[in-house]
Formats: sequence, structure tokens, C-alpha cells
Amino acid sequence: MLEYDSAKRPPPAIDEFLQLVRYRDLILLMVGNILKNRYKRSLLGVFWMLLNPLLQTIVLSIAFGTIFKSSLPNYAVYLLSGLLAWNFITQTTQYAMSTMAYGGGLLKRIYIPRATYIIAAVGNGLINLIVSIGALLIIIIFLNHAITPAWFFLPVSIMILAIFSLGLALLLSTASVFFTDTVDIYQVLVQALFFLTPIMYPPSILPLEWSQLLILNPFVILIEIFRIPIHANHLPDFSLIVNAVSLALITLVAGWVLFTSKADQLAYRL
Amino acid sequence: MDNVAIQLNNVTVRFRIPHEKIPTLQEYAIRWLKRRSVSFTDFNALNNVSFSIKQGETVGIIGANGAGKSTLLKVISRVIRPTHGRVFLRGRIAPLLELGAGFDYEMTGRENIFLNGAVLGFSRKDTASRLDRIVEFSGISEFIDAPIRTYSSGMVARLGFAVATDVQPDILIIDEILAVGDADFQKKSAARILQYHNDGSTILLVSHNQVSIKNLCNRVIWLEHGSVKMAGRVDDIVEKYSLEMLS
Repeated sequence: MLEYDSAKRPPPAIDEFLQLVRYRDLILLMVGNILKNRYKRSLLGVFWMLLNPLLQTIVLSIAFGTIFKSSLPNYAVYLLSGLLAWNFITQTTQYAMSTMAYGGGLLKRIYIPRATYIIAAVGNGLINLIVSIGALLIIIIFLNHAITPAWFFLPVSIMILAIFSLGLALLLSTASVFFTDTVDIYQVLVQALFFLTPIMYPPSILPLEWSQLLILNPFVILIEIFRIPIHANHLPDFSLIVNAVSLALITLVAGWVLFTSKADQLAYRL
Repeated sequence: MDNVAIQLNNVTVRFRIPHEKIPTLQEYAIRWLKRRSVSFTDFNALNNVSFSIKQGETVGIIGANGAGKSTLLKVISRVIRPTHGRVFLRGRIAPLLELGAGFDYEMTGRENIFLNGAVLGFSRKDTASRLDRIVEFSGISEFIDAPIRTYSSGMVARLGFAVATDVQPDILIIDEILAVGDADFQKKSAARILQYHNDGSTILLVSHNQVSIKNLCNRVIWLEHGSVKMAGRVDDIVEKYSLEMLS
């Protein structure tokens, strides 16, 4: 028979994982519902998911494409692949954080694993990303950009992005429950970081001393790991892969340990 | 000890109430710079509560507003963990605290049965196999494919009740919701709870309605300011409680 003993429970980091496995169907349903709700009432339905990145790319390519014509062949492909990775990380973390800070009411009404919303946000982001790659393919075919076997590396890139985003979302969600202005601070930081990360421009346009500082921006590694196989058509350097994997894993472990250790306080705080 | 369903040992639930609201990093930083410490009041919603309920018992919880009844139900249904002490449960628990927890009003009744089922810890497959029975009990089969924002509040509550009570729980936690839906449905839901009671479910009932406490419970626990003031046979406790309420 099922037993619950508040005095005898595995360490929070393990307990939360076991509970999430038990409630996996809830996570799947939540992801499905986020998608259904977002696109149910709009006429174009899922096509919005394709249209949105396409329009964004076309507008930005017209605006900036000519500037980088010589240094960046197929600027639209460079731009959109960087943008997809960027949007995935930032939208997933922002979404997870706001559902925890403002929508976590369910957590104080009934027991569900505390990380449910955050995992669902990453799942939702992954689906958006995969659909958006469809938009990227349309542009690639239109511009006659080559598709090489380097694409086989993309699932690894996406996995790295997902692990990093989950970790960052856990860290930020914990912070946002304790300090509600974390959401606003992060929003400002994200806007600034967007221009400090080579997404719309090639890193080569930066003065030398500035481009060395890019090493300090962890987003650069993550954008590159996704963009190189698509735009540069070769595998990322081994050192880049190692850096990206370590960054993602460290973020996830830090986020998981922090979140699960504070999770009991969430129902008190929300 | 063998047939214990719910046991609480010295359970304390402490809420920390800041004197001034400082939920932002900005204000926290300003305070820290000014070297002013953040002051809190600790408030014990439950204070050293111990009791034990055997399998098959029906126990009522009474007490004035703010006595800790809701907190007690929350700590038993695992929503919050006790600050001190131990909560022990044996068996599957069905908390009827929040009917339709997690309902999404844009989704249809059918989709919400799955969603609410998952929130209650049932797998999709399990819910699917019981779908027809749930729909039938709720009595809203004609509208089951309409979004529940079009439902009346009574229909929403009926659907929530139907999902939450479809499988007989070992422990049923009821918070003042015996009055769900219209007269017919109230009869139906009361009959179901009675059935589970007869079949051996443990029931914990919070109610201000002394009639339903007297009718259903063998035993009553009276909470006051987060502590157990009295516990014992229904008639004695309810009588003393109503005397005190009147005075």
C-alpha cells in the first residue's frame, strides 16, 4: 500500500525526480495544452509558428543583409539559425519563470511535483524550436544553401540547449519566487545581451579587444553550437562541444540542486 | 499501529510573515545597504499537533476561522511540508479540497478530465479506461466536448467531483464541499461518499455544519489557535464547541 512519511523521504533532488517520473503524463498534457491554447483560436493555427520566424528573418535580412553581404554569405540563414537558438533559451526561461511567479497557484492548492511547470515550459519550447526549424528549411531551400551531414549533429546541439535552458529556468524560477522583480531584471538583461551576442552580426565586426570579451558571454557558445552545423556546414570544434556540454550540465546540476532544496518553501511563498 | 491511516506527531507549520512586504530584490538590496535587518514574525498555523486516525474511521475537524483547519488539510494532503514533526499516511489519498484543481477553462470537459486526472496522479491510460464512467456520473455528457468556460459553476464542480471520486480512495479529505451541484447531484455525491465510508475508506471532514459532522463522524477533533483543544466522541465535543461559540 502507498505510504507517505514526511520524516522519511529521499534527498529532495532525488525525490523530485522520482515524482516527476510518476507524473509524466501531467507534463505531457500540460505541453499539449499550452500549444492548443495558443493556436486554437487563431485562423492560421500552427502556421503562425512558421510565419513568425519567417517574417522576422525577412525584415531583418532586408535591414542588415546588405551590410554583412561580403563577410556573411546567406545572411538570412546565419541570422535565423542564431535567432532560433536565442529565442529558445530566452523564451523558455522567461515562460517558465512567469508561470512559476504568477501562475504557480496550483502548487499551493494540491500536490504536484514542483518542477512540473518548468519542465513543461522546456517541452513547449522544444516543440516551437522544431517547428521553427521548418521555417529555417524553407529559407535554406529558397537561398539554395547547402545541407550537409553536419545536420546530424543538430539533435546533440538541441539537447545541449534544452539542458542549459532547463537549468537556467530552474535557477531563475527559484529566484523569482523569492524576489518577484527577477522577472523584470532578467528581461532587461536579455535585451542587452541580445546585442552583445553575435546573432545579427558576425563576431568579426567587433574590435579585437571586444571580441576577446565574448568568451565571457556563455550564450555565444550555445548559439555557435547550434549555428555552426547549419550555417558553416561543418561540425563544431571539439573544444567548443566540450565547453557547451560542461556549461549545460553545470547549469542543470546547479539549478536542480537549488530548486529542489528550496521547493518545500514554494507553497509557503507563492 | 498496523491499521493507522493518518498519523501526526508534533506537527508544527510555521509561516514567516515579514513586517513589511519586501518581495523584490531591489528593496532587499536597499535594506541590506542601509544595514537594516529584515524583521519577521513567526506565526504557527499549527502548533505541536498530534493525533492518529485508524483505517475506516470518519473524523470531523471543527474550529473557528483561522484555527488551522485548512493548514491541517494541506499538510496532510502534502501541499506543504511540516516545519517540525512528522506526517504519516497509509494509502491513496483523494483531497476534495479543490475540486477541479488545474482545470483549464479553454479546454473541453473531456480534455479537463484527463488534465485533472493527471493532477491527481492518474496516468492517461488509467483515466481513459474510466472516462465513460466519469462522464456519466458528472451528468454532463451532452456538453463534454464544449470548453468548460461555457459551463455553469455547478457543472464545473460536478465534473471535478466526478473525477476526484471515481476511484475509491483509501483516505478521503473533504473540506466543506458536500453541497456540490443541484439537489439531485448532492444526493448522488453524498451517496457515493457514504458508499466509500461503508467500504472502509478513512474520511477526514472539515465542516462548520454540525449536522453533517454529527451524521457522518465517529470522532471529532477541535482545533483552536493551531492546537488541538479537544478530541473525542462527536456528541460531547460538538456540544462543548457550540456552547463556546454561543458564549
